[in-house]
Amino acid sequence: MALPFKGGVVVCADSRTSTGSYVANRVSDKLVQLSDNIYACRSGSAADTQALTDYVHYYLNSWSLDTGRQPTVKTAAHLMRRLIYNNKDQLQAGVIIAGWDAVHGGSVYTITLGGSCLELPFATGGSGSIFVAGLLDAEFRQEMTQEEARTLAKKACAHAMTRDGSSGGVIRTVAISSEGVDRDYTPGNELPFGPSAPF
Amino acid sequence: MSSNQRTTRPITTGTSVVGLVYDGGVLLAADTLLSYGSMAKSFNTPRLYSIEDRILVGASGEYSDLQEIIAKVKALALEESTTSSMESIYVERKLPAKSLWNYLRAVMYQKRSKQNPYWNDVVVAGYDEQTSKPFLGTIDKLGTTLQENLVATGFGAYLAMPLLREKWRPDLNEGEARALLEDCMKVLFYRDCRASARIQLAKCTSEGCIVSEPYDLDHSSGWNAPSMVRATGDLDGDRGS
Amino acid sequence: MASSGSGYDLSSSTFSPDGRIFQVEYATKAVENAGPVLGIKCSNGVVLGCAKPINHKMVVATTGSYKRIHTCDTHIGCASTGFLPDARVLVQRLVEESADWQEQYGSKIPPGVLGERLGTYAHYFTLHGALRPFGAAAVIAGYDPDTKECSLQLLEPNGAPYMYYGVATGKGKQAAKTELEKLNLHKAPILAEDAVKQILRILYLLHAEQKDAKPIEIELSWICEASGWTHQGVPKDLLKTSQEWAKEQLEQEEEEGNGRRLN
Repeated sequence: MALPFKGGVVVCADSRTSTGSYVANRVSDKLVQLSDNIYACRSGSAADTQALTDYVHYYLNSWSLDTGRQPTVKTAAHLMRRLIYNNKDQLQAGVIIAGWDAVHGGSVYTITLGGSCLELPFATGGSGSIFVAGLLDAEFRQEMTQEEARTLAKKACAHAMTRDGSSGGVIRTVAISSEGVDRDYTPGNELPFGPSAPF
Repeated sequence: MSSNQRTTRPITTGTSVVGLVYDGGVLLAADTLLSYGSMAKSFNTPRLYSIEDRILVGASGEYSDLQEIIAKVKALALEESTTSSMESIYVERKLPAKSLWNYLRAVMYQKRSKQNPYWNDVVVAGYDEQTSKPFLGTIDKLGTTLQENLVATGFGAYLAMPLLREKWRPDLNEGEARALLEDCMKVLFYRDCRASARIQLAKCTSEGCIVSEPYDLDHSSGWNAPSMVRATGDLDGDRGS
Repeated sequence: MASSGSGYDLSSSTFSPDGRIFQVEYATKAVENAGPVLGIKCSNGVVLGCAKPINHKMVVATTGSYKRIHTCDTHIGCASTGFLPDARVLVQRLVEESADWQEQYGSKIPPGVLGERLGTYAHYFTLHGALRPFGAAAVIAGYDPDTKECSLQLLEPNGAPYMYYGVATGKGKQAAKTELEKLNLHKAPILAEDAVKQILRILYLLHAEQKDAKPIEIELSWICEASGWTHQGVPKDLLKTSQEWAKEQLEQEEEEGNGRRLN
């Protein structure tokens, strides 16, 4: 998921990668850096999303080489959208692109399965997203501080991990702003909620 | 574009677009909800686009295909204006709405003939400079075109069209046209699971096009009829039909 | 060009012993003989202007058959001079590169990148024996919506694009450059509205100084706030008042003697 705050964006993900109902990796990193100030949150097929983020990383790099500037989040989202839309039959990929750029500030895009590209106030994706939609609708506010956004992201993520069998493990977050990026790791035994409900 | 992408079912969808011709212009309406299956994915995404402030394009159906169509249309409009600037920097040869409508028909028909349709019903509105008449037309996902005074795509074809047919007159003024469309959008909000109360209106006259900001329909009068308020689930009721 | 090629000027694939490529220099010559083109980067925009000599009384100079300023994308304008069909090819390339970028990245191409790309394209034609360099120069005015900055570039037949505060090419470019330098554009940029006047003044000046000059027609375009940061023809009423100002100004300078100074 990606939640903007005043001056940037927090991206957040659990760490479960599964094949069927077997946990193939319980500490995976679904937050992938595409450029200095842009991250992708991957969901769907791990193979597909790894290939996609590799491509977008490569294209953004050549964009920077051409222009001598840092790419915008919009450009990153557009590249991802094109790849997914043009290969929609063969891909299982839902990707959130979020980050900070000098033109638009913090912004959040989601690219859905079919290749629709939506700029949203905040974004959730993956199997756990349906479990936290209501929580975030209620608690999300524009212009939160970085800490507020990170706390909310972790809370929502923990709730998803509790109720969604396909989510779990640890919580990784990255706060992206003009200052750069700040990573954070929450081990599976220190989640703000869960892993089991206390009642 | 690679040849292997194929929309076989819509994934991220927008619902109805309704529109009508009134005295001196065209008015379109659509809500701003995007659905992801049955989940409400985005509440504020416009589906009515103004092309160079002269043509309106709106669509229901798969949103990624709509984005592709709009990118195509904008590229076409730009090509038209860069090539017309070959004539004189003061000549603005602008793409007429009817030409765009025909172009989109060709595009939609070509796509469906490759077993790979753009999964949309598209509405094109404009103002015909030559005849000084408003233009309103639709193209469906098969490439069928219709030019009409009234259009309604998706659920709107069932719920809004009967209302439009009942209330429409060719001499409707702008205010009456707007009220009629808002009525239609309200019915759609009540009875279409994929519709929302946040809508946009768009107008096209000889002056050009405007798309309104999204705004919420006033449906405060729609929930308080005694027959609605009355509980029917109690033991003395009719078991909550 | 003091010496002629003595055999080294037949192909651009061969250097002369003193390190020159004559075909490129001849192409540059083709530019120097064609109508002047001016560009000024302003504090609030960028302005292009050119004077088209009317070589035949009956030619319809206002149409596409003889047009020198083109819109290549909403935010890119190009004024060209030299061998006109060659210039058309450059313009078409600008249109295509802009559209390709838009499709690939979903944003407007930065004008600097566009200039570089046109440069790469034009330069290719100076490398091969089977090709002929472009006998045309392109002055590219651009606006970058991301950085909100305007830019002005000149691409010459050798394929090197440079950024300028003010630039002149085509016939009388030396005199025009001198006039532009007097405006001190690199230190104190002027307003687009004033640049329109100055470009007209310089174009008329060049025309007046030219011996047995053919009548000219002026084309002027700009990118600025008034044009919505898109490339547009300078509004005709502004063009008219500026033309009057320019002519008046030149008459005054004439009266004051030879000293052609700007006030």
